[in-house]
Amino acid sequence: MFYSRVLQLAITKPKWVYSVVIAMVILSLLMMPSLQIDTDPENMLSKEAPARVFHNQTKSNFLIKDMIVVGIVSNSNIFTPESLQVVDKLTHEILSIDGVIKEDLLSLSVVDNITQESSNITDSSASIIRFEYLMKQAPATLQASKNIQDAVQRLPMLKNTLVSGDNKAIAIYVPIKAKDLSYPIAEKIRAFTATYTTDLNFHITGLPIAEDQFGYEMFVQMGVAAPLAGLAIFALLWYFFRNIPLIIAPMIVAMATVIIIMGSLIGFGFTVHIMSSMIAIFLMPIAVVDSVHILSEFADRFKKGDNANDVVTQVMSHLYTPMLFTSVTSAVGFYSLILTPIPPVKIFGAFIGTGILLAFVLTITFIPAYISRLKPETLEKLQVAIIRLEAKGTLSSFLTKLGAFSVSKSKFILVTFVALFVVSIQGITRIEINDNPVNWFKSDHEIRIADKVLNEHFAGTYDAWLVFTNTKKTSEKSYEKFTQILSTISNESDEAKALQQFVKQWHKSPQQQAFFSQELLMLIDDLSFSIDEADQNRVEQLITLTDAEFNQSKVFLDPNLLAWMSTLQNELLQTELVGKVNGLTDIVKTVNRELNSGEASDFVIPQSANGVAQTLLQYQSSHRPQDLWHFVTKDYQQSLLWLQMTSGDNQHTTKVVNWVKQYIDKNPLPAGINYQWAGKSYLNIVWQDAMVNGMIDSLISSFVIVFLMMVLLFRSLKYGILAMLPLTFTITMIYGLIGWTGKAYDMPIAVLSALTLGLSIDFAIHFLQRVRELEKETQSLSAALTLMFNEPARAISRNAIVIAIGFTPLLLSPLMPYITVGVFLASIMALSALVTLVLLPTLMTLFSSESIAINSKKDN
Amino acid sequence: MKPSYSLFSSKVLFTPLLLLLSFSLYSVSTNAADSEMDVNNIIAKANSVSYYNADDGKAQARMIIVDAQGNKQMRQFTILRKDQKELGDQNMLVIFSRPTDVEGTVFSVNKKINDDDDRWLYLPALDLVKRISAGDKRTSFVGSHFLYEDVSGRNPKEDTFTLVKTTDKYYVIKAIPNDPNSVEFAHYEIKIDKTTFLPVEVNYYNSNNENTRRMEVLKTKLIDGFTTVLHSKITQLSDGSYTEMQFRKVEYNLGFPDSIFSERSLRNPPKAWLQ
Repeated sequence: MFYSRVLQLAITKPKWVYSVVIAMVILSLLMMPSLQIDTDPENMLSKEAPARVFHNQTKSNFLIKDMIVVGIVSNSNIFTPESLQVVDKLTHEILSIDGVIKEDLLSLSVVDNITQESSNITDSSASIIRFEYLMKQAPATLQASKNIQDAVQRLPMLKNTLVSGDNKAIAIYVPIKAKDLSYPIAEKIRAFTATYTTDLNFHITGLPIAEDQFGYEMFVQMGVAAPLAGLAIFALLWYFFRNIPLIIAPMIVAMATVIIIMGSLIGFGFTVHIMSSMIAIFLMPIAVVDSVHILSEFADRFKKGDNANDVVTQVMSHLYTPMLFTSVTSAVGFYSLILTPIPPVKIFGAFIGTGILLAFVLTITFIPAYISRLKPETLEKLQVAIIRLEAKGTLSSFLTKLGAFSVSKSKFILVTFVALFVVSIQGITRIEINDNPVNWFKSDHEIRIADKVLNEHFAGTYDAWLVFTNTKKTSEKSYEKFTQILSTISNESDEAKALQQFVKQWHKSPQQQAFFSQELLMLIDDLSFSIDEADQNRVEQLITLTDAEFNQSKVFLDPNLLAWMSTLQNELLQTELVGKVNGLTDIVKTVNRELNSGEASDFVIPQSANGVAQTLLQYQSSHRPQDLWHFVTKDYQQSLLWLQMTSGDNQHTTKVVNWVKQYIDKNPLPAGINYQWAGKSYLNIVWQDAMVNGMIDSLISSFVIVFLMMVLLFRSLKYGILAMLPLTFTITMIYGLIGWTGKAYDMPIAVLSALTLGLSIDFAIHFLQRVRELEKETQSLSAALTLMFNEPARAISRNAIVIAIGFTPLLLSPLMPYITVGVFLASIMALSALVTLVLLPTLMTLFSSESIAINSKKDN
Repeated sequence: MKPSYSLFSSKVLFTPLLLLLSFSLYSVSTNAADSEMDVNNIIAKANSVSYYNADDGKAQARMIIVDAQGNKQMRQFTILRKDQKELGDQNMLVIFSRPTDVEGTVFSVNKKINDDDDRWLYLPALDLVKRISAGDKRTSFVGSHFLYEDVSGRNPKEDTFTLVKTTDKYYVIKAIPNDPNSVEFAHYEIKIDKTTFLPVEVNYYNSNNENTRRMEVLKTKLIDGFTTVLHSKITQLSDGSYTEMQFRKVEYNLGFPDSIFSERSLRNPPKAWLQ
């Protein structure tokens, strides 16, 4: 057998084993410094995921930047000179921070007002239009402050976005050059506000802030929780074995596993995401478990004067198969996560799965090598520990009673389990799928508080973008006509060549982009200055044709389409699912009103596309023409509605998305226009859907694989089914409980389902393996079960406790997903050990030939 | 306050100013370059030399606005300008021809030396004549990187100038605004050609002394004896977005009648003069 040769090598040449382990650890440690944290929830989708590609395309098409939102909140009306001075001061201080994109910052101090001015010129009938900064300097009087408040009321783009509907809060939107600058920038803003003597409260939020903060907390988690888990496991091992030199061995296996796996994760160039940051804390307890089995059994068999190497060889030959199987099944549970379409979850599954196999290899080589080098005195002390372990403690008397209970009350237990199972299934049907990355912070976290306060005052800090796109292709006929005219122009100038090049390029991949475009128009225009008199007429024809086609393609100047969008905006507001909908129509209507009477009756869309275009040309004569391009692209082929929502719950976004779908089904868009969603809130529901479906696949496949392995291991269908039952009950009950308690099925809970399967099967494997051996020895199932509830049950319970306790340091984490994982894994481990110990003896008793024999005796 | 917003300001030039410079700058006296000139003299010289040379002028302009992603927009318009009096009042019309959806849109400026300018706007699709308030001059000119003040020129009285250095070819002059609150920059630096007195480059700096914005003259031509800017560019240095302005068909001394600059003619642009 291959392993026995490996074992002999390990025992006889322990230094080789040590050298290999040390070399791997050192190599892995060298990888650590290139660690990169990734906190972007977008990465839950692969880079090529269509929804993500479209989202980023939208951000780029509409020049949308990552923003920090600073909320300034007053207890009463904020439009006072004192408060506005603070707003103005803070704005200018923020503008002085490096990394802030100054020209895109939004604040009362830098946005424009557009107004009517009464004419004092007597010889003209025309009224006056005026563009000016809304708050060039902070006002000195209360009246001037109220004037600003009134002005905002007339500017739909600002109302409820820059100033809250209750006039108690003002926001500053701070676009930043790079996401990783958000923390230092936020710190600088906090430093500014700390120096103010004012009653105003300041809140800082926005996705980059949350992400950066999350990254920081992740480091804390890894730096604190993982070592704590190690410490907890060490303390537990000491409690069980009271032999420091001995328990150092499993600790070395655990540490080496964690370091090698994390080092190779980093070395392979993967970023550390919220999922992979949990690898250390997952591997630590799992890596120890096999060692605990070896140490227990070794301590059990080793007598004074024995040759340690001989004993360890015996122990290993005995434990090799069950350890291999438990390791492989656990690894399968994690590997099954590779089937989900979520990249960080795949990486998490792949590396933990590999980590488990690595821990197995380390355990079966390093532990024997280590034991072979222990001093005889150290080994003798083991005896003392064994006596302690064998002593009747609380655990052992509890287990004895438990064993008696499960055998004698087998029918009652079975009925109870079936009832619980039915209730759990019902609970599962009640599970609510929902998530919200902001809720990954605890409810008293400053980000949660800022989120809550700002959403109480403003129309909402959660964004979704409804993007409309013109899909109409370039007319083939017009294109033919164009090339036909072009072919008659004989000109060798650079301008002519550039134009021909453009036509050729378009012809290579036609319809990728519109042919009749701004660029084409420029090229013909260039050409018109370098041609002979003879070609003048033909170039004019090209210009006329291109102009007409290009003009026709600018669909988002069409008043009918804008009216359709405007109606949708109003209807969306009526649903009360969204706080505000901003769109191109608001800009058009506002400017049109001020160009005309200034009265509400002129707050309408002009009647012609040219009217819309001319209105927008005026808008661009302000201080901030660039703001227009957040709502429509420069070729007028795309336009978006920016939805502000007060909730970032996936369920909420789903409702909005469904409502819009129904609305558009009933009120179709003009032909050739389609719509698509973008924005982080939308991406969240996309990856959540992918996650839920992926988890079902991964759960089913790992269930099937583990079941087949069990049949193979026990060479028995009956035992294969028996092995699967405890974990089936456990997982059903845990998820039933989630359904009944109303806890949302979110990312961490979804991930847990498949992997708990691989972990909790271990108990059943060990239990069934030992019972079968004992049954063979005693020739009686009931005798075997009685013996089972002595040492073997204690070993199983000890392992369950080690794993459960190992995960509890996650509870100390400041981030909710870690806490959820900690609570659920600990309870799943504890529960599945208990279910294994109760359900398996019950079922074995009920369906064994022995019990049938007893029953038939009774009948007689 | 200086009358603002006019495309053809009389008082200006060292700024990008372009439109004006573009077709009225005169290639000037050569002796100026040699003598040690006082900075205000240079400014004054440049001011007087660059502006009132011809009695009137006309040009076709094309602006290409390029954003940080390389997306382009084009605006085309014709400018007509007439001086009422040497170093005095001026009239100007800017008539848009493209994009076609803004065709016929007209800006009209009656520049007054001793009063606020009168500025009008005509939007044909809305059949609307509107006056424009003499507000802030540093707003965008139809969405481009050129501000109205870049187009019209900035009043020298608003800045204090110091001569930084004189090179073989240029005077380098630093300008500090007298009212820092009225502008978005802390100071700017002008490079004036010693022979033509044409400002060929202007760099704007913020309070951290970062260069935020740049105007460059890319091409000039002597037309009817006037140094004329044919191509200039303003770049927003923070993101590399820019606007290029090109002039064609520049003509001087056409003899425009006053009537084509009246409020009434906004609705009926002088077609004969636009050819």
